[in-house]
Amino acid sequence: MMRENQQRITQLTVSVLLLILAAGTVSAHGASLSSGSREPIRVPTWLFLSTGGAAVGASFLLASFVTDRQFIRQLHQWGFPIHAENSHVAVTAGRVLGLVGYVTVLVIGFIGPSTPQTNAAILLVWVGWWAGLAMTSYLVGNTWQTLNPLSTIALVLPSLNRRYPDSYGAWPSVIGLLALIWIEVISPLAADPQLLATAVVAYSVVTLFGVGIFGRDTWFDKADPVERVFRYYGRVAPIGKTGRKIKFRLFGMDLSVPRLVDDFDEVVFIIALLWGTTFDGFVTTPGWRTLTEPLVAGGFPPQVLYPVALLAGFGLFFGIYLIAVELSRRTAETYLQSRMVAVQFAPPLLAIAAGYHFAHYLGYFLELAPALWLALLSPFSDPGTVPVYQPPSWFGGVGIAAVVIGHLVAIWVAHAAAYDLFPSRIQAIRSQYPFIAVMVFYTMTSLWVITRPEVALPYI
Amino acid sequence: MSNHEYTIGKDQSPHVCEYCGRPFSQQEWLDLHRGLEHPNELSEEHISAFQTAYEAEEGELGRFRLRALGVLILLYFCLLMIYALV
Repeated sequence: MMRENQQRITQLTVSVLLLILAAGTVSAHGASLSSGSREPIRVPTWLFLSTGGAAVGASFLLASFVTDRQFIRQLHQWGFPIHAENSHVAVTAGRVLGLVGYVTVLVIGFIGPSTPQTNAAILLVWVGWWAGLAMTSYLVGNTWQTLNPLSTIALVLPSLNRRYPDSYGAWPSVIGLLALIWIEVISPLAADPQLLATAVVAYSVVTLFGVGIFGRDTWFDKADPVERVFRYYGRVAPIGKTGRKIKFRLFGMDLSVPRLVDDFDEVVFIIALLWGTTFDGFVTTPGWRTLTEPLVAGGFPPQVLYPVALLAGFGLFFGIYLIAVELSRRTAETYLQSRMVAVQFAPPLLAIAAGYHFAHYLGYFLELAPALWLALLSPFSDPGTVPVYQPPSWFGGVGIAAVVIGHLVAIWVAHAAAYDLFPSRIQAIRSQYPFIAVMVFYTMTSLWVITRPEVALPYI
Repeated sequence: MSNHEYTIGKDQSPHVCEYCGRPFSQQEWLDLHRGLEHPNELSEEHISAFQTAYEAEEGELGRFRLRALGVLILLYFCLLMIYALV
């Protein structure tokens, strides 16, 4: 026992040290790249991307050194309860806050200042909610469940409480998420306050209509895409609910808990979320322009271009994941159905999605947070100049580090999930080969996207 | 664990767990599975089979670690050389 313990500690120490070394090397290169535009010497893109990919691959090898089942289980179960039960005061305060925010968005959206940088509705939705609140949902814990104003309104609405067909599953939320991403990318929702308010009204009507038919709990649990996004992000966070209790645990550890994802439709949702964040950044790269210019010049209707690209990329991401599942079944020589394997290894991808979201939105949030604060203090006045925070030059490195850390967490969680699924440790390691290849592909894609200069969307 | 579903080809002959019905493609994995998932229901024979399989796996893991270490070192030096040259 003594010897085993000692061995375990040595294994862990070595792995952690090497992991830090790997991550440290990458972020250092990343920082040198981001400042590269100002200095004559720069790391070429192919090398930067391969370094990122290599770091992910190396982390897998390091994670595979940890083979002690008991230790892995202890690490994942580690944590302590924070508060025994839901506090009514906190819930009520959260609901009121959500409603106030909702009313602010509608009122200021329709009758507030028309400049987007000074309009509190625009800033509250994009900076406060989609950047800021989403970041807290995976860094701290999911609060949207309580804040969600539509969920609060639904409390007092009557419902037919029709049975939600099992075959629908998470599909409405998948379609809803893709539709939201599409609308967000192609329409000037971040530039036109009235349009934003109209979109919020439209979304509210659809949501409350759904609640009216299937009931509040069922609708937000199954069909609402936004609720699901926040709930899934919340699984990455250190604070979250386990049963009825609120618990503190390590980052991402809740992702290996079985039953976060039950079926294929939920796997599809995770992939859609991952692809959505990538697509959002991808369409603003010069590469997208170069890729689509010949198509549009050749007579391809630009309106169709975006939805087609959204679906094609989603198909590509999902197809790659399915191939990885099939290959994994082969390398692990298992009789488990593809569905079981797909379900087991999808939740770790959420850590990647969170890391990418952070990389994409942290700078945006910090730059515009002063403007949001000012707009909330005086929502109806239109100050000529907007305070903008300029992040320091090393800041690009933070985004790159976030992408890499997201992958490191994902690799560890997938490692634990494999140990949970397969009795043989060598079998568990082998089952990961295809998924690691996929993660290397995802990392290189996201690193490529976040280090491109941002250009305006063409053809819109 | 028992609510898993499986796909077994016609020409395959899996080793099936007598407690939960889960099939495995190797006898050793079934031995390991029994020890991990049904530790309280095992006969002496199964316990010793688990121990043998576990120890055999240790050897295999050791070899895997060596190879992994080799790949890591190779990766590190390749990148080092590339960075030195670029």
